[in-house]
Amino acid sequence: MTSDTVRTVGLAAVLATLVLVSSVAAPLASARPAHEIPVTEATDADLSEPTAAGWEDVPASDVALASAPSGVPNADDTTVETVHVQAARTDQRLFVRLEWDDATRDVRADDPRAFADSAAVQFPVNTSARPPIAMGGPGNKVNVWYWSGATGSQELLAGGAGSTTAFPNPAIEANATHAGSGGNATWTVVYSRPLNATGENRTALRTDGDLDVAFAVWNGSNGERAGQKAVSEWHYFPFGPGPQGPPYETLLWTVAGVAIVAVVGVTTFGIYRTREGN
Amino acid sequence: MSTDQQDDQGSEDSLVDVAEGIDHQVAMVMDLNKCIGCQTCTIACKSLWTEDGGSEYMYWNNVETKPGEGYPRGWEDSGGGWQSSEHSERQTGEIPDQEDYGRAWEFNHSDIMYEGSDEPLRPREGAEWGPNWDEDQGAGEYPNSYYFYLPRICNHCTHPSCVEACPRSALYKREEDGIVLVDQERCRGYRYCVEGCPYKKVYYNTVSKKSEKCIFCYPRLEGEGPDGETYAPACAEECPPQLRMVGFLDDEDGPIYKLVEEYEVALPLHPEFQTQPNVYYIPPFAPGQHTEDGETVDIDRIPRQYLRKLFGDGVDEALDTIERERQRTRQGEDSELMDLLQDKNPAKQYRLGVFDDE
Repeated sequence: MTSDTVRTVGLAAVLATLVLVSSVAAPLASARPAHEIPVTEATDADLSEPTAAGWEDVPASDVALASAPSGVPNADDTTVETVHVQAARTDQRLFVRLEWDDATRDVRADDPRAFADSAAVQFPVNTSARPPIAMGGPGNKVNVWYWSGATGSQELLAGGAGSTTAFPNPAIEANATHAGSGGNATWTVVYSRPLNATGENRTALRTDGDLDVAFAVWNGSNGERAGQKAVSEWHYFPFGPGPQGPPYETLLWTVAGVAIVAVVGVTTFGIYRTREGN
Repeated sequence: MSTDQQDDQGSEDSLVDVAEGIDHQVAMVMDLNKCIGCQTCTIACKSLWTEDGGSEYMYWNNVETKPGEGYPRGWEDSGGGWQSSEHSERQTGEIPDQEDYGRAWEFNHSDIMYEGSDEPLRPREGAEWGPNWDEDQGAGEYPNSYYFYLPRICNHCTHPSCVEACPRSALYKREEDGIVLVDQERCRGYRYCVEGCPYKKVYYNTVSKKSEKCIFCYPRLEGEGPDGETYAPACAEECPPQLRMVGFLDDEDGPIYKLVEEYEVALPLHPEFQTQPNVYYIPPFAPGQHTEDGETVDIDRIPRQYLRKLFGDGVDEALDTIERERQRTRQGEDSELMDLLQDKNPAKQYRLGVFDDE
C-alpha cells in the first residue's frame, strides 16, 4: 500500500467520523427534555381567550395523563389520556392553555347525578421543593388553579388529599370554550395570573429557575370528581434568564460546530490534494 | 376513683355501643302502630329546613307506604353501607336519579285563578312519580291486602358510611351527641355521601352544590329558639299521634334504652346495612287474615318474612314479647312495656336534658 493510499483512506475515515458527530450533536442540542414545557415570551399579546390568535405561535406539549391513585370509588375509571399544554408569559401575566378531547360539554351540576368537566394546574407553594404529586402534603403544600364548567375558576390550596381549600381572594382568571362535535370535540381552557401576585401560600412565579407544574382533567359525564381524575406527572416550566434548554446545550452546539467546520476543511483539503495530484 | 369504680364504669359503658369518641348518642323510637300517614312530620320538617332553592325535592323526613318503592324510589336496592359488621369495607352505592326523588311540580294555579280555566287543579306536566306516589297501595289481595306507614329520617348511625365515604371529612359525628352533620364549609359537592348512605338520607342541593341532611333539629335541642326552651325535633313534637320518643340511647333510665336494649322490641331498619342506626321502630301489628266469608284466621296479614326483611330476625322475638305483654295487661296484670308504649308524659317521651350537667 502506497503512502498516498494510506493518506486517502485516513482522510475518508476522519470525514466520516466528523459527519457522524455533527449529525448526532446538533439534534441533541435542540431536543427538549421530556418533562419540560416551554414558556413563550409574548410581549403585549392578549392571550386570555382560548381562541386568541397569539396562541398559534406558542408551541404545545402533549402531556400524558393517567388515573390518579385514590381511595374514592372508581378511581381507575378515567377517560382523558392526553392534555395539550401551552404556556406564555408577558411582562405582566403567565398564561397556561390546556386543550383536551371531550365529546360532551358537561357544564351542569344542578342535578343529583350531574358532574361538570373540570381541569386543574398544580404548582408547589414552595418552589424550591417538589411536593408529593397527589395534592401535595401537610408540610409541602400545592397551589392549584382550578376550573369547572359549572362553577368557573377557583384558586385552591392543598396539603394532601382531602385538604383542598379555596383562597378567599383568588388571583387567577380562567376562560374556557368547548368546540367541535363528537370525536373531534375539545375543551380549551386558558388560565392566567399576574406574575407578581403575592400572598400567603401563593406560588411565587419565579424567573430565576425551573417551576414545577402538574395537570389534572375530570370528565363530568363519566362521574369524575375528587380523586377520580386523570393526572400528569410533575413537569416544569423552564423559567429563568438566558437561553433555555439543557445545561449541556452549549457544549453540544460547540462539538457540532467544530465538526461541521472540520468536515468542510477536510473536504476542501481533499479536493485540493486530488487536483494537485492531477 | 378506686379501681373497682373504674371497672364498674367500664362495664356500664359497654352496655350500649356508642361510637368511638362520642360522649352520648341521640336516638329516636317510632311506634309504627301509631302512624296514620298524615305527613305532618314531613311538612314540619320541610317548612323548617328545606324550603330554599335547590332543596325543593328534599324530604329529610318522609313517610312512605310499605310495602312500596319508597323515597327515593327503590332506595332499598341502591347500595351503600358496609360489607360486614367489621366496618372495614364499604358497599358501593348509587346516586339516585332526580326522577326517583321526584321533582317539585308546577301546578296550574294561575290558569284557574287568573285565566278563567275550568280545568281541575293539577300539575302542569311531568307528574309521573314523586314521594308517596304509591301511598296506601301496599300488597296482598282482597280481603287480605295490607300496608303500613314507615316514617324515615337520617338514622344518625353509630357507624355512618356517609361519613366514611367523604374524602374530605366534610361529614362528621358530633362529639357531644352523635348527630351526623355536613360541614357546609368543607363540602365540595362530590356526593360520595349520597351514594354511600344505604338509606339515601343525604341529599345534594342543586343550587348551593353541596350536600345536606337531617340535623336532628339540633338548634331546637340546644334551645336556640326565641323562647330559649329545649325542644325535641319538629317531626316528633308536631306528630298528631305522638308516635316518636326522643332521647339518648345510653340514658339507661329513659324509655329508649328500655325499649331497645332491655325489652328489645324497638328495632333498627335494615340492620344488614351494618351502619347501626339510632332510629328504632316498634314493628307493626295487623289483624289476622280473613277468609272469603269474613272469618278471622290465625295467619299473619303482614307476612313475617317481609318484616324480617325490613327489621332483621329480631322482629320475631320483638313481636312475641309485645304480644306476651299485651296478654298480661288483658289479664289485669301490670306491664312496664305496655306503659312505655302508651306513655303520654312528654317529660318521659322526650328526655333531652339528662346529660346537660356533664
